[in-house]
Amino acid sequence: MLNSGTIRWNHVLGRAFIYLMLGAFALYYLIPLFVMVVTSLKPLDEIRSGNLLSLPMQPTFEAWGIAWNSACTGVQCNGLQGYFYNSMIMVIPAMLISTLLGAMNGYVLTKWKFPGSNVVFSMLLVGCFIPFQVILLPMAKVLGMVGLAGSLPGLVMVHVIYGLAFTTLFFRNYYITIPDELINAARIDGASFWTTFFKIILPLSTPIIVVSTIWQFTQIWNDFLFGVIYSSGEQQPITVALNNLVNTSTGVKRYNVDMAGAIIAALPTLFVYVVAGKYFVRGLTAGSVKG
Amino acid sequence: MVTKWLERIMPRLVLAPTFVIALVFIHGFILLNAWLSFSSSNLMPKYDWAGFIQYERLFANERTAVAATNLFIFATLFILICLFLGLLMAILLDQRIRGEGVIRTIYLYPMALSFIVTGTAWKWILNPGLGFEKLMHDIGFETFQFDWLVNSEMAIYTVVIAGVWQSSGFVMALFLAGLRGIDESIIKAAQIDGASLPTIYRKIIIPGMRPVFFSAFIILAHIAIKSFDLVMALTGGGPGYSSDLPATFMYTFAFTRGQIGIGAASAMMMLMTVMAVIVPYLYSELRSQRHA
Amino acid sequence: MNGLKITNVSKTFGKTNVLKDINVEIADGKFLILVGPSGCGKSTLLNIIAGLETATTGRIEIAGEDVISRDPKDRNIAMVFQSYALYPTMTVRGNIAFGLNIRKVPKAEQQQIVDRVAKMLRIEDLLDRKPAQLSGGQRQRVAMGRALARDPAIFLFDEPLSNLDAKLRVDMRTEIKELHQRMKTTVVYVTHDQVEAMTLGDYIAVMKDGIIQQFGTPSEIYNHPNNMFVAGFMGSPSMNFIPCQLTEVGGEVGVYLQGHTTRFFVRLSQTGKDYSRWLGKNLMFGIRPEHITDYAEQVGAQEAIPCKVDILEPTGPDTLLFITLNKVKVVCRVTPETALQHSIDKMPLYFNTAKAVLFDPASGLAI
Repeated sequence: MLNSGTIRWNHVLGRAFIYLMLGAFALYYLIPLFVMVVTSLKPLDEIRSGNLLSLPMQPTFEAWGIAWNSACTGVQCNGLQGYFYNSMIMVIPAMLISTLLGAMNGYVLTKWKFPGSNVVFSMLLVGCFIPFQVILLPMAKVLGMVGLAGSLPGLVMVHVIYGLAFTTLFFRNYYITIPDELINAARIDGASFWTTFFKIILPLSTPIIVVSTIWQFTQIWNDFLFGVIYSSGEQQPITVALNNLVNTSTGVKRYNVDMAGAIIAALPTLFVYVVAGKYFVRGLTAGSVKG
Repeated sequence: MVTKWLERIMPRLVLAPTFVIALVFIHGFILLNAWLSFSSSNLMPKYDWAGFIQYERLFANERTAVAATNLFIFATLFILICLFLGLLMAILLDQRIRGEGVIRTIYLYPMALSFIVTGTAWKWILNPGLGFEKLMHDIGFETFQFDWLVNSEMAIYTVVIAGVWQSSGFVMALFLAGLRGIDESIIKAAQIDGASLPTIYRKIIIPGMRPVFFSAFIILAHIAIKSFDLVMALTGGGPGYSSDLPATFMYTFAFTRGQIGIGAASAMMMLMTVMAVIVPYLYSELRSQRHA
Repeated sequence: MNGLKITNVSKTFGKTNVLKDINVEIADGKFLILVGPSGCGKSTLLNIIAGLETATTGRIEIAGEDVISRDPKDRNIAMVFQSYALYPTMTVRGNIAFGLNIRKVPKAEQQQIVDRVAKMLRIEDLLDRKPAQLSGGQRQRVAMGRALARDPAIFLFDEPLSNLDAKLRVDMRTEIKELHQRMKTTVVYVTHDQVEAMTLGDYIAVMKDGIIQQFGTPSEIYNHPNNMFVAGFMGSPSMNFIPCQLTEVGGEVGVYLQGHTTRFFVRLSQTGKDYSRWLGKNLMFGIRPEHITDYAEQVGAQEAIPCKVDILEPTGPDTLLFITLNKVKVVCRVTPETALQHSIDKMPLYFNTAKAVLFDPASGLAI
C-alpha cells in the first residue's frame, strides 16, 4: 500500500516538474514578444523610468502612428507604410509565379520524366544549398544590364529564381506520392499533358500549394539580403526600411517606435503562422531539411 | 501532326526555363563569381586574370580572422545549444502533454519572424542602459552589469542568444517529429523488458534518432554560415567589426567598400565551407538510399 | 477477325531484356490471361498493348489494326488498374464520364452511358460520391465502370482484384466472368493468381523472365505443362517433383519410389507415351497432389500402396497428407474420411499415373 502511494506521489511530482519546465520555456519564447508589445505602447518617459516588463501606465498608440506615418528611415521620414506596400507588391507576384512554376516542374519531374530531366533537377537543387553570397555580385550585374537594378520588379525576379529550387522540391516530393497509374488512366481516357495537369493533378495539390505559397510568402517577406542589395530609395522592402529606421542615428532614440515598427514588419508573417501554422511547419521541415 | 509533336516535346518545353535558370543563375553565376575572385576587380568588376591576389588580400586582412573566429564561436554555441534545448523540449512535449498544440505553436512562432525583427527586439532587450540590466536592478540586483551588446569581446554572444531564441523551437519540431516516428512496439517491448523511461530514451529512442540529429546539425550549420540579417539588425557587425561574420564581411567588402575582388573571394570561401559540411552529408544520404 | 495480335514484341531497358520476342494471337471476344510471378514482364506487356510503354521491336494489332505508333487514346482500349486509379477529386459520375468528356461526347449521351454502366454494375447510388467515400469493392466497380463506359475494342485489366480481400475477390471474379460473357469484348487480363487464371481465361499465357513459357487453354496448361516451371506455377498445392530413374520391369516402363518403409514400382504405360529413349536416365517424376489419392475408381486398376504419413493437414473439403518419397516431401490429397479411417503409418494411396508427367531435370522440359 505504502509503496504504491509513493509511486503515485513520484508520478505527480514528475508531471508537475514537466509542466513547470514547459511553462518556463513558453515564457522564454513569449517574453520578447511581450516586451515588444508593451514597449510599443509606452510613452518615452515611461520607458526611461520603468523597465522591460513594467506595464504601460498610459497606453498609447502614438508610437505606432509614428512608425507607420512619419518615422525616418534614412533620408525620408514617411514611416513604414510605403515599404509595407512595397513588400506586398513584391511578395504576391513572386510567391504566385514561383509556386506555379514549381508545380509545373514537379509535374514534369515526376510524371513526364525524360532522359536528362533528373539532371535538370539536380542542377536546380544546388540552389537550395549554396550561400547566396556567391551569386550576389553576378546578379547585381545582370540586374543592371536588364535595367531592373534597384527596382521592385528586379527583386521579384530574384525571388522567383532563387525560390524556384524550393517550390520545385516541394511539388516534386508531393507528386511522387501520386500513383503513376492515375496519369496512365488519364492518358487512356484521352487527356492531354495540360488537361491532366489542370483537371487531375492541380485539384489534388491544394495542401502543397498552401505549403509552397506560405513558405515563399514568409521567405520573401522576411528577406533582407536581396532587399538591401538590390533595392534602393523608395523601392525598398519593409525589412530594409525597418533596419534603417532602427539604425537611423539622428535625434533621440525612440525605442517605442522601433518596437512598433518591428511588430508592423512581423504582423503579416505572424498572421499567416497563426492561421496556417500546420502548413507553415510542414514547409519548414520539408524545405529546410534541404537547407 | 504539329499538335502531336507539341504534345511530345511539352515536358521538355516546360522544364526548359528552369534548365536555363539553373544553368545561368546558379551554376553560371557561381563560375562568374569564381572568375571575379581571381580578377583584379576593385571598385568596378573587371574580367581579367590576376591569380590568387584577392585571396592573398583576403587572408592578409585582419577582419578576416575576426569573422572566421566569430563564425566558429557562433556556429559551435548556436548548434550545440539549439540541439540541446530542442531535444529537451521535444522529450518533455512527448509525455502526453495537455495543450501540446498551443505549446508547440508558442515554441515555433519565432521561426515566422524576420531575423531583422528578432534582431531589433533583442537589441532593445539587451540594451545596456534600459534593457535587461535595468530589469535586474529593479528586481534588486543593483550591481548587475550586462553590456555585451557594446562590448567588443562579448558582442558575438548576443548574436548567439538571439539566434538560439529564433531557431531552437524549430529544432524541437524536428526532434518531436523524429520521436513520433519511432516504432511504438519497440518501446512497448522495452517496457515489458522492465526498462525505465529514462533508460528507454537513453538507450533506445535517442540512438534511434541519429538521422534527425544529423539533419538538424546540417540545417543549423547552414543557417549559421549564412547568418547575415541577424547580425546586421542586432550589432551591425560592431562594435567596430568585432561581431562580423563571413556574410556581413562579404557584404561590406563587395557592396559598401568597393572591394569587389575580396568580396568575391570571401563568397567563394563561404561556398567551400558550406560544401565541406553538406557534401559528406549528401554523399552518405545518397549511399544509404542506394542501399535501401 | 483478330481480337489481338502481338508479333515479335521485345523490350529492353539498357541491357536487361524485359520481354523477349513475344508472339500471341487471340480471336475477337476471347479472354486472354497473362500470368506469372512478379517481374516476369506481364505488366510491361500489358502496358505495351495499351501504348503506355513503347516496345523496342515488334507489332501490336488490335481488332485488325496496327496500333504500334498510336497514342493510348487512339488505340480504342479501356483499362482497369490495380490501384483503380480513380480521379480523387471527381465524383463517381465524373470519373466514369471523364473519357467521354474529353472525346466530346454530347452531354445527354454521356448521361445515358453513365446510367447504363451504373445499372450494369449496380452502383447507381454511388454516382455522386467521391472515391474516398467508397469501399474497396465499390472502387473496383467504379474502375470497371470507367472502362465499360467507353465500349472499346479491347479491355485491359492489370491485376484488378489483388487489392480486395479474399471473399470479395471471389465474388468479383465471378462478376467479371459474367460481364465478359454478356459483352463478348476481347479482354487481356494480367494476374499473378493462378486460380484467377484458370477460372477466367479462354487462353492463358504463362510468363517468366520475359518469355512466354506456354500458351494454351486452361486445361492444356494444367494437364499438359510444357516445363517444370509451368507445372509448378499452376495448381495449388503445387505439383510434386520426385527425382527418379526410368527402368523397365517385366516389359513395363516405370520408376521405383522409396518411402520410409516401402519401396514400390510405378508403371507409366497409362500416359501413352514412348519413353524408351530415356531408359536408365535420371528424370523428374511430376505428379499433382490430387493424383496421389484414395479415390480408387478414378485411378483404375492399380493397387493401393501403404505409405507412412509425416504430417496431416485438414483443409475442410479434403485433407492434405505429406509423405516422403525418394527423400523429397510429397503432398497428396485425400477425403477427410479416408484420412480418419486409416492408420497414419499405413495410409493406402493410389497413384494416378495416367496424369503423371516426366521432366528432363537438365532442361526442365516435359518429355
